[in-house]
Amino acid sequence: MLQLQSDNLLIKKTLTELIESPTSVDRIVSDFDYTTYHLSTPENKTKLLLSIGTKSWKDLDKYDVVGKLNAIYGQFQTDTVEPGYNYSIYLDLEEIATKSQDEQFEIIESLSLLKRNALAAPFESALEQYEKLNAEYQETGIEPSSNNSSIIEINYRDEESIYIKSSFDRVTVIFSTIFKDETDKIFGKVFLQEFVDARKRAVQNAPQVLYSHKEPPLEIRDLIKFSPNEQKGYVTFVLFPRHLVPQKKYNTISHIQLFRNYFHYHIKCSKAYMHSRMRFRVNQYLKVLNRAKPENEETVERKTATGRRFLER
Amino acid sequence: MSNLTTPAVVMGIGTGLTKLGFAGNDAPSYVFPTAIASRAANSGKPAPPSKPSFLGGSSGNSGSSGHLQSKRGTEDLDFFIGDEALDAANGQAYSLSYPIKHGQIENWDHMERFWENSIFKYLRCEPEDHYFLLTEPPLNAPENRENTAEIMFESFNCAGLYIAVQAVLALAASWTSSKVTDRSLTGTVIDSGDGVTHVIPVAEGYVIGSAIKNIPIAGRDITLFIQSLLRDRGEADTSLRTAEKIKQEFCYVVPDIVKEFNKFDREPEKFAQYIVETTRSKKIVDVGYERFLAPEIFFNPEIASSDFLTPLPTVVDNVIQAAPIDVRKGLYKNIVLSGGSTMFKDFGRRLQRDIKGIVNDRIATSEQLSHGTKSSGVEVEVISHKKQRHAVWFGGSLLAQTSEFNSYCHTKQDYDEYGPSIVRNFSLFNVP
Amino acid sequence: MVIARNENEQILIEPSINSVRISIKIKQADEIEQILVHKFTRFLTQRAEHFFILRRVPIQGYDISFLITNFHTEKMLKHKLVDFIIEFMEDVDREISEMKLFLNARARFVAEAYLTPFD
Repeated sequence: MLQLQSDNLLIKKTLTELIESPTSVDRIVSDFDYTTYHLSTPENKTKLLLSIGTKSWKDLDKYDVVGKLNAIYGQFQTDTVEPGYNYSIYLDLEEIATKSQDEQFEIIESLSLLKRNALAAPFESALEQYEKLNAEYQETGIEPSSNNSSIIEINYRDEESIYIKSSFDRVTVIFSTIFKDETDKIFGKVFLQEFVDARKRAVQNAPQVLYSHKEPPLEIRDLIKFSPNEQKGYVTFVLFPRHLVPQKKYNTISHIQLFRNYFHYHIKCSKAYMHSRMRFRVNQYLKVLNRAKPENEETVERKTATGRRFLER
Repeated sequence: MSNLTTPAVVMGIGTGLTKLGFAGNDAPSYVFPTAIASRAANSGKPAPPSKPSFLGGSSGNSGSSGHLQSKRGTEDLDFFIGDEALDAANGQAYSLSYPIKHGQIENWDHMERFWENSIFKYLRCEPEDHYFLLTEPPLNAPENRENTAEIMFESFNCAGLYIAVQAVLALAASWTSSKVTDRSLTGTVIDSGDGVTHVIPVAEGYVIGSAIKNIPIAGRDITLFIQSLLRDRGEADTSLRTAEKIKQEFCYVVPDIVKEFNKFDREPEKFAQYIVETTRSKKIVDVGYERFLAPEIFFNPEIASSDFLTPLPTVVDNVIQAAPIDVRKGLYKNIVLSGGSTMFKDFGRRLQRDIKGIVNDRIATSEQLSHGTKSSGVEVEVISHKKQRHAVWFGGSLLAQTSEFNSYCHTKQDYDEYGPSIVRNFSLFNVP
Repeated sequence: MVIARNENEQILIEPSINSVRISIKIKQADEIEQILVHKFTRFLTQRAEHFFILRRVPIQGYDISFLITNFHTEKMLKHKLVDFIIEFMEDVDREISEMKLFLNARARFVAEAYLTPFD
């Protein structure tokens, strides 16, 4: 598996099963970045309540995440949010079961993207801002100063955040990263160096990637209480207009959201690969070492082809 | 790690099936074969890329061809697990392998990648944010635990790890039954899956290794037995699938097979019909005596097998008699069923009756021999409960959802400080 | 006795009456090699019981130590043990640099794979 997908496989699977044969459930499903779903059937088994709770909700809420989710899931909207969670959807499984296969599939698909859509809210709002500034520039020909555009901050993990800043010709997305593990830190550096170089080498049309250690990039320096943190690094993605055109917007947002997960997933995969290499190596060394052992079987007893023993002389 | 509200991950990896899910749920989220399909070219050992020739020269190429070239170094990402592995192995490019043999991990390379995929693709969690509960078979070598910890902590940086013995978790799962009142970790676990049936005595949370017995009769044997009966009668469909379906839907355990035979002869409505529907045709398979005969092979193995002849109740009795004398009463009193092949209706009741018979006979003889001393009697109780099928996983889920669970785990920090040997010991849990 | 190619690559051989201790300092040019050597030696020492002559803890300043006692030489062929040590030394540098190459190649591949879909 190379890429991580945006949809939640388990939500998909569970919903497919439940629509086919409703049962009473009370299940927890997890997703990246401290996101938890809760599927339950509080009334009866055909009325499913699907709730999502995520760490960054407070920040998402500033960018009208509820409105955006309602726009997508409007038909299942419910006024009451399950306590302990941030957003709830109410599904009538019986009603969904009457729909055509394709419609059902579409509903399931879109529900499995719940986390993606929630986290997309601030990105969308940043893109709107970019479009506004860009239009202004097209009209007047003067570069609108981007200073008045505010920086969006999403604290999506305990010590890591996403910052988004839009200006008239680009949207800058900055991830602050932290490594808890020494090996990860060094592997991470190698990986990030390649992210920075990749654009020069192979994928010219990709967003520009910058990496800085300890020092936050200029864009967000005012925002962060400047405390040089030995552990922290900042990865900047500069999204150019070509990534922000309407037909690419959706993909860009989905893809950039998963950066941290993708990045850490691959660090872990490389470590796993290192392990298998080392296992292989250890076995080889053992083989060499075992050659040093005198071969017992042969020295203990030698027989001729007919089964007679050699005699000591 | 200030606010870990994420649910713990419970992974029960068995020889045949893997059960994955989150603590607090009543059933595993995924149950799929413990199989991995990797590129046929380098099954087994990863061929170390001797000359990474793609390093040079690709700089001038366009992105896509650079891609193809560097693909060569990424065989370790190209694999499937579970049901997808079975599908992939149908083609030529992938070969299938099962990393677990007899409950023990055989191929660590495959296992590590199996976990990798389980965590990131199926469970979608960042292992740094979650605690993990893994299960292990009884008598697992401590080295295996260390290797597991090495993978979980070094590759995946998981926040915390607890490795629990399957039998102990099965005991914990039985606490949901209304019959269980004292929630002790003493009892005999009968764990019957697809390949083999284990009888495992557990005293105060510790497995009595010397007394464990394995019986080579389990789910698969029952299925094969049904299949052979169907074949003998010349039914319309005698595939393994059909036999399995019949096993799951129609079989039950009876107190006395002779009476049941008579009953079948008197009441023809006892015979059932199983309908095999395929896209092309519809076949009707009659289901007869195998309804009660098939599970009977646990109690009278001679009807199906010629090399293993000890009935299950006798084995259980032997196991308990082989355990230290001071725990035997506890072991008789709490016989817990686990695994899909113990799901037959009235299985527990029959087992209880048979074991009681053996025990009472023994008491009677000893009373006779000791001239008049009365035994206080031995209580025999077999516990069946609703979560029996995935009892081990469910026990894990119960344990991992408690607020104390995290304190029983070894954390990444512990591991970094003390090294892999810390996982040799886990403190026992007690659920309030 | 110390055999050194340079400051970073040394072998210390300490003979005594009934044993020989051989300690190796493996080349570590940068922090990547450092972490790889650390990982590799730890992986090896974790399995020390299979490698009769491997010590669990290297002596100070070195990455890995072997101790060949008279018991080992009695049970095993001396020249083969020497073969093993030599093979290990020859191999370990190559292994580390291969792992490093792999890491770079993988990082490059992963980065490109991530950035390509943006286009």
